[in-house]
Amino acid sequence: MNDNSSAGVTDLEGVPHRIYEVGEEKVRQDPRHNKKVFVGMSGGVDSSVSALLLVQQGYDVTGVYMKNWSRDLPGMKCPWAEDLADAKRVAVKLGIPFEVWDFEKDYREKVVEYMLREFKAGNTPNPDIMCNQEIKFKLFYEKAMERGADFIATGHYAGTGVAENGRSKGLRSAAARGRAPAARGDGPAGRGPRATVSDRTPVLLRAVDENKDQTYFLYRISDEALAHTIFPIGEMMKPDVKKLAEKHGLHNAHKKESMGVCFVGEVGMKDFLKEYIDTRPGEIREIETEKVLGFHEGAVFYTVGQRHGLYISGVKGEINDGLPYYVVSKDLKKNIVYVSKNLNDKHIWTKELKLRDIVMRTKFEACPAWGRVARSRRHGARALILALPRSGIPQAGTLPQILVRLRHRAPLIPAKLVDDTLYFEQEIKRPAAGQSAVFYDGEVCLGGGIIL
Amino acid sequence: MIYLDHAAATPVSDKVFEAMKPYFLHDFFNPSAAYLPAKKVAADYETAKGVIAHAIGAKASDLVITAGATEANNLAFSAIVTEDIFCSGPRPAGPSPRAAGANSRAAALRNAPSQNISSVLYLETEHDSVRKVAEQYGGEAVKVLPSGVIDLDDLKAKITDETQLISVSLANNELGTIQPLAEISGIIREIKIDRLRRGIKTQLLLHSDASQALNLLDINVARLGVDLLTLNSAKVYGPKGVGALYVSHDARLKPVIYGGGQENGLRSGTENVPSVIGFAKAVELAKEHLNGNRKKYASWRKILLAELQGYELINKKRSLDNFVVLCYNGMDAERLVFLLEEKGVYVSTGAACAASKGVKSHVLKAIGLSDAEIAGSLRLTLGETNDEAQIHEAARIINKVVTQEKERLDNER
Repeated sequence: MNDNSSAGVTDLEGVPHRIYEVGEEKVRQDPRHNKKVFVGMSGGVDSSVSALLLVQQGYDVTGVYMKNWSRDLPGMKCPWAEDLADAKRVAVKLGIPFEVWDFEKDYREKVVEYMLREFKAGNTPNPDIMCNQEIKFKLFYEKAMERGADFIATGHYAGTGVAENGRSKGLRSAAARGRAPAARGDGPAGRGPRATVSDRTPVLLRAVDENKDQTYFLYRISDEALAHTIFPIGEMMKPDVKKLAEKHGLHNAHKKESMGVCFVGEVGMKDFLKEYIDTRPGEIREIETEKVLGFHEGAVFYTVGQRHGLYISGVKGEINDGLPYYVVSKDLKKNIVYVSKNLNDKHIWTKELKLRDIVMRTKFEACPAWGRVARSRRHGARALILALPRSGIPQAGTLPQILVRLRHRAPLIPAKLVDDTLYFEQEIKRPAAGQSAVFYDGEVCLGGGIIL
Repeated sequence: MIYLDHAAATPVSDKVFEAMKPYFLHDFFNPSAAYLPAKKVAADYETAKGVIAHAIGAKASDLVITAGATEANNLAFSAIVTEDIFCSGPRPAGPSPRAAGANSRAAALRNAPSQNISSVLYLETEHDSVRKVAEQYGGEAVKVLPSGVIDLDDLKAKITDETQLISVSLANNELGTIQPLAEISGIIREIKIDRLRRGIKTQLLLHSDASQALNLLDINVARLGVDLLTLNSAKVYGPKGVGALYVSHDARLKPVIYGGGQENGLRSGTENVPSVIGFAKAVELAKEHLNGNRKKYASWRKILLAELQGYELINKKRSLDNFVVLCYNGMDAERLVFLLEEKGVYVSTGAACAASKGVKSHVLKAIGLSDAEIAGSLRLTLGETNDEAQIHEAARIINKVVTQEKERLDNER
C-alpha cells in the first residue's frame, strides 16, 4: 500500500462531530447538543422521523412546513393542507414548535417558471433539483440562519461529511476495532498541486439505503448550506425509518409516499403543462422515412426515449408489427415529433454526453483523489470524516473514472469527465436534454451537470 | 372517546339505522318501477318526505331531496334568473367542475351568469357551500355585527332593485349564531310591496341554510318567511349524503342535475330510499326530543363555561345551545386539537372543510377577531354521544392540555 492509504485515514476519536446514537432514546453527549435546528417537515414519514431523531439527540428543534405550492389542478386537489396537518400533528406529538414558511411566490418564480421555460425550449427539466437548490437549501436555509439556527435538517436520504485537507490521523481506531472502513472512495491518486481548499470542506455523501439515495436531487445545493445541514435519516434504511415511526406512534408511519414532482402529483406533468403552456397539435413522423404516422398535442409534451402516449394509428401490415415506437427527437420550430422503431437509432444511444451548468461540489476545481470515507455501523452512523490525500488533486478539467447517475435511482455508470463532456465506456441510452448527470466517487457526490 | 364535534358529523342513531335496514335488504325496488312492491316503496318514500316536510311546516311536494346540504344550496341559487350574454345556445347548468387552471378559468368565466349586476346577497359568515355558489353569481356579502348577527342596516343598504335572492343561514356552522330570519323576511316583504308599487316584477327570494338548526330549533317555514330552506340529514343523526331543499311556490328552480325527472324534474336520479327513510326517522326523533335536548345542552354548556379556565367565550349571544366557541389567547388551537386527540377528546378549530384547506376562518374574521384570536379559537359542539360525566371529564382534560401547552410556550420564551 502506498502512502495514500494512511493519508486517507483519520482518527475517529479526533472527530469533532461525535457519533451519536441513531434510533435510540439514549442521548449521548454531543457537541451539537442544544443547538438550534430548523427541520423541514413535509408531513411524510421521512421528515417526521428526522424531527423525532433530532429531538432525541437533544437538539433544540423547530418544525417548519415549507408552503411551496397550494394550487389545485384540474382533477387533483393539492394535498398541501393535509400534508401540513400531518406535519403539525407530528410536531405537536414531539412537543416542538411548528411554523409554516410561505415560499409560494419564490417557488413559482424560481422553480415553476424555470421548469416551464425549459419545457418550452424542448428540454425535460427536473424541478426537484431546482427546488432544493433555490428553495430548501437556499431560502429555507437563509431564513433559518436569520432566525438563529445552527443547522437545518431535512428528511432526505443523503449523508454529509467533512473533507479534511492534509490531516493524516488515521482511521486506525475504527479499523483496528475490526470495522472495515468503506474503501470505495479510493480512486487513483493524482499528482498535482495541493488542493486549495480550506481545512474543512463539507461533502455530500450517498445514503446508506442505496435504494433511497436522494443525492441525485441534491447535487446543486451550496457548500455553505450543506455545511449547516443534517440529514438525520441518511444513515438509515427506509424500513427502519417506518419501524421507528411506528414504534413512536407517529400516525403517518404508513403514509403513501408522494411520487414525482410534488405539485404535479398524480395529475402528471402533461396535464400540468397543458394548464400553463399554449401548444398546438402537430405531426408525429418516422425519422427514417419522414412519413407522418400520427399527430401529437404539442411537441413540448414529449421526451426523447418516451414510448407511451403516442397517438399513432396503426397502418395494417406496415406499422402494426407490434414493435413500439420511441420518440427519438423533436423539432420544436416545425412542431414535429420524430419517432423510430429502430432501437439502435443513433438518437437513442450515445457514448458521450455534453453538459452545461456543471457544478463541482466542494471547493475543488477538479476531483480530489479521495481518501477513505470512514464508516462505522457500530452506532448505525457513519463517521463524518473524509480525508484528502496529501498527494493533492489530479489535473484540472479532468475527472478520471467517476461514476455517473443519469436518473434518480438509476445505476451508477463509470465515465470520464473531460471539460464539459462525459465519456462512457459503453453506449448508454441517451437521457432527455435538461435532465441531470450526477457524478460520484464512491460514497461522495462530486457534483453534476445538466445534459445538453 | 369524548366527541365534541357534533356540528361536523353525527352518528346515525340506532332507531334510524333500524328504520333504514329493510330498504337496503328487502324493499330495495326502484320506486318508479311498475309492480306493486315497488309502488309500496314509492309510497313509503313519499311518506318519509312528508315527515321531513311536516317538521318544518311544509308538504312533501314542497321538498326536493338532494344528496346533502351542499347540493341543496347549489340548487337554491338556480332560482336566479340570468340572461346569458356570453354564450349562444343553452346555458350550461352551473359553474364548471374544472374550476382551476387557465383554460378552465376562462370556461368558468363564460359560464358565470351575469357578472355586472349583483343579483345575490349572502351573509359574509355563510358556509362555503353558499359563499362559493354566490360568488359564481357575482354575489355581494352582507356584514355581521361583532355578535355574529346580521347587520340589518347593511342588508337594507345593499338590497337594490336587481336583488333576486338573499341567503342567510338560520344558524351559523362555526358560531351557532341564530339569525333573525323573521325580521329579515319582514324587511323583504316591505321591499316586495314597494317594488310592486313601482311596477317592478323582479323576484326577491329568501334562502336559508338550516343544516345546523334542524334538531335544535323549532322551524316553521311560514313563520320564518323563507322561500328556500336547506335541510341536512347528516347533522341530525341521520345518514350522510342526503338533504333536502324546501321550495315555496314563489320560487322557480332550474335543475342542476338532469336525467329521469325525479323530484318534480328538479333532481334526477333514482330516489335514495333508505337514506330518506333514515332522514325522516332522524327528524322525527329530533322533534320528539327537541326541548329536552335543548335544556340538556344548555346545562352542559354552563358546566363547560364554569369549569374551563383561561378562555374567552366567543359565541355569547343568540347561539344554538350546543355550541361553545372559545378563544385561548396566544395559543395555537390546532395544537390543542392534536393534543386533545391523543387524549381521546375530539374538537375542532372551526368548520371541518375550512380547517382542511388551511385557511383562516372567514367567520371568525367577520366578527372582528384578530389573526391571533382566530388561531386560538376552539369549537366544541355538544350532542347525543355525550353525557354529563363526559362534559366534566372533557373540561378537566382540556384544562390540563391548555396548561401543558402554556408551559411549553413559556419554556420556549
